[in-house]
Amino acid sequence: MLLTPQQAVTESQRCLYCFDAPCTQACPVHIDIPKFISMIKSGNVIGAAKVVKSSHALANVCGKVCPEEIFCQSVCNRAKQDTPIHIRELHFFATQHEAKNGFASLREFPKNGKKAAVIGAGPSGLGCAFELSKLGYDVHVYDAKGLGGVPKNSIPAFRLSEEELGSDVDLLARHFHFHETSVDSEAFARIRQQHEATFIGVGLGLDKRLGITGEDLKGVYPVLEFLERAKENGSRSNFGSRVVIVGGGNVSLDAAATAKHLGAKEVTLVYRRSEMEMKVWKSELLEAKKLGVQMQFLAQPMQILGEERVRGIRCRRTRLSEKVDSTGRPVPVEVPNSDFVLDADAVVVAIGQQIHAEFVHFFERTKQGFIKVDEAFQTSLPGIFAGGDAIAGEGTIVQAVAQGKQAAHSMHEYLKDRN
Amino acid sequence: MTDIDIYPTRDLSYDFLGLRFESPFILAAAPSTDNLEMVRRAFQMGWAGAILKTTSIEGTRVDLAYPMMSTFNHDGKKLFGMGNIDLISEHHIDNVEYNVRMLKKEFPEKIVAASIMAGRKEDWQRLVERLEAAGVDFIECSFSCPQGNIGEDPGKMLAQSIPATELTARWVKEAAKRVPVSIKITPHVTDIVEVAKAVKRSGADALTASNSLQALMGIDIRTFVPYPQLNGRSTYSGMTGPAIKPITLKTISEIARNVDIPILGTGGASTWSDAVEFMAVGAGVVQFCTAVMHHGFRIIDDLKSGMSQYLDEMQFGSMKDIWRKALPHLVTHDELPRRTVRSHINDPLCIECEACYVACRDGGHMAIDRRPTRIPVVSEDRCVGCGLCEYVCPVEGCIEMRVQPMN
Ligand SMILES: Cc1cc2nc3c(=O)[nH]c(=O)nc-3n(C[C@H](O)[C@H](O)[C@H](O)COP(=O)(O)OP(=O)(O)OC[C@H]3O[C@@H](n4cnc5c(N)ncnc54)[C@H](O)[C@@H]3O)c2cc1C
Ligand SMILES: Cc1cc2nc3c(=O)[nH]c(=O)nc-3n(C[C@H](O)[C@H](O)[C@H](O)COP(=O)(O)O)c2cc1C
Repeated sequence: MLLTPQQAVTESQRCLYCFDAPCTQACPVHIDIPKFISMIKSGNVIGAAKVVKSSHALANVCGKVCPEEIFCQSVCNRAKQDTPIHIRELHFFATQHEAKNGFASLREFPKNGKKAAVIGAGPSGLGCAFELSKLGYDVHVYDAKGLGGVPKNSIPAFRLSEEELGSDVDLLARHFHFHETSVDSEAFARIRQQHEATFIGVGLGLDKRLGITGEDLKGVYPVLEFLERAKENGSRSNFGSRVVIVGGGNVSLDAAATAKHLGAKEVTLVYRRSEMEMKVWKSELLEAKKLGVQMQFLAQPMQILGEERVRGIRCRRTRLSEKVDSTGRPVPVEVPNSDFVLDADAVVVAIGQQIHAEFVHFFERTKQGFIKVDEAFQTSLPGIFAGGDAIAGEGTIVQAVAQGKQAAHSMHEYLKDRN
Repeated sequence: MTDIDIYPTRDLSYDFLGLRFESPFILAAAPSTDNLEMVRRAFQMGWAGAILKTTSIEGTRVDLAYPMMSTFNHDGKKLFGMGNIDLISEHHIDNVEYNVRMLKKEFPEKIVAASIMAGRKEDWQRLVERLEAAGVDFIECSFSCPQGNIGEDPGKMLAQSIPATELTARWVKEAAKRVPVSIKITPHVTDIVEVAKAVKRSGADALTASNSLQALMGIDIRTFVPYPQLNGRSTYSGMTGPAIKPITLKTISEIARNVDIPILGTGGASTWSDAVEFMAVGAGVVQFCTAVMHHGFRIIDDLKSGMSQYLDEMQFGSMKDIWRKALPHLVTHDELPRRTVRSHINDPLCIECEACYVACRDGGHMAIDRRPTRIPVVSEDRCVGCGLCEYVCPVEGCIEMRVQPMN
């Protein structure tokens, strides 16, 4: 919801204008939050937008979908008195005001004559590309799927519209050359040759499989494919009236909410642990529940049923054991003789993702298969930097932008040292 | 990692009093300018200038009493008005001379001014000479410290006496060979124009209008000790901050309309839009004190950003385009147009609180009627167009005053 000017001013008047504010510290790109809020209060809304946008390349996207409950708002001092400031909504109010009144023009960024490449135009790639362009680089961005990454292709349109994404990427696009192409090993080698430094922001993109029978039946979708199709076809998409989603993260909630929005009558989420262990933002869980998504906690898919098309899914009850896994959560164990079947016209598998880009074999990787980087975001290949989901698994947009930004400065330092 | 600037900064500089001001935003003589390190920080953060807190000749006794601050807490705005029983600086001219030298050396492009107060002619003149020698850009003379005084008449401020004002200003102006002099006056007079004329006659270069307002900040209703409380005793305070802005606007405009003399505005400005208002009624620059004491020097970011945005929006080429813009609209009451005005409620915006109804019923002309829908309706016959309801209404744009066609 976009605040009205009166709501924005009233809310801004509640801000305590803390010094060295915890909200700013908690924000991965360190937006000067008390400053922009005081500007909304004084009626300088464009100034407020400029403060936000000076720190954040995807200001409108995050104004809409940043999980403030885990960042700025979670540490707001006002909450100790009554309730926290609605920081994200004030941020979005300001940046949308600017976007709707025409982008404030930027200053010239004097060119330094060096070329840099960015592979992947998601939040990390765009964050890096814009920062490199501010530093004077001639930046070349490569992505087969246009500008925006997950926010463009996967985040459901009812949470982030094309116009909202456009209010960021339309401005950014003026600051680099864009090549709408996928990068394979051969192309990577060439790009590396032709640019003085390269950033890898390829995200994840490859859905993990359940590894059970029936997974190849028609009507079984890896979640990214499901979300992308839904986004592409909008209300024309038809996945049937009973949809089962497997998984317990935010992405599964997005899939569940999408199914509901597309008119599915019964949407059931199957998760092998309990609600407590879900890695989700509370607001998204609440929203899914409000939409009427049913939850089957402590249930493990065993087999997807059907001949050519899916018709159901057989699950087994689980219980939580004493043992904990690497994430600190209890390990579920199967309960004998507890199988049950859920009827389904579609099954969506949302149990996590891996890196899709094929050229990652060049790099040293972490145990979980992500690209290994040092504290300057440099990979095992000198001059090649990486950030975003590709280095740490699914994170958030603002973290990806922050890493892209920091990596740009590391690239700049790296090249300075070499000249 | 600080962020790289991505927006061009707008030039806000202009000439005033023969000096180049980077922007109209300068610090008023107050605690924020009483310490070298603090003024340094202010300059580094972008303030265009500072008037160092009022100083005096060595040996002058400054007998402070603490605590000195209190507030006018209105409707939850704790610093709607701020009270102080501060006096002039405890730092004498030797210290201030040094600060002026250091600041001019480190920040040659900033405006470094100093405020002075004395009793005898030779002391006033000595202060001026020493500050000029130190390299000050201009001198402000405090004729209006609301607590204590070093004037002829105990309990009265210098600027409350027209002859004393003119005489003392003449002494100061006589001594000032190189730099402009501004006289800081008080709004506590019967006719501010007479005071301004006296300053003009003295030859002084400018006026600072105005200063804090004398006030009794409040009383503890259980112990009956007023604020600030000093072991069961209290005294009158100088009130500053947002609460006094309308009075300052009146003072400045009144001077600007009647006397041709540059004005430095002070008293109640907190935001860039307040500064626009001060300048629109004739202030050349705007001084800030309470707003800085409340939120710190960092408010300069919004002052400059907001002002730049405003100039762009208004398509003004320079700060000076704001000067005196409001004055042609100000007339005496008998020169006001007489028209038929009626209140109009925009039904779709109404949130049915009936605040306008009760205000008009008990404080207006009983011209608003209730309806079963709770959306009130204005009686064309009874409404005189006073405008009270418009300001009582919590919704912006819901109630407007419409001019009726002549018949
Ligand atoms: C469904 C879903 C909902 C989410 N919702 C939110 C949310 O509400 N708020 C939030 O903060 N975060 C959310 N996230 C997380 C967030 O989207 C990611 O953390 C973020 O997008 C990571 O950015 P990235 O740049 O690392 O990768 P990505 O966004 O994945 O972008 C990577 C880009 O690289 C491109 N690419 C991949 N391989 C190649 C190649 N070989 N050659 C060229 N280009 C290539 C891809 O096409 C893609 O555009 C969500 C994630 C998902 C999956
Ligand atoms: C604590 C305090 C001390 C002040 N000391 C001086 C002073 O020494 N000399 C002076 O001319 N004005 C002094 N002032 C008045 C300010 O310069 C200023 O004119 C006044 O506060 C009104 O402006 P404001 O509403 O922006 O605060 C003082 C004000 C405060 C609050």
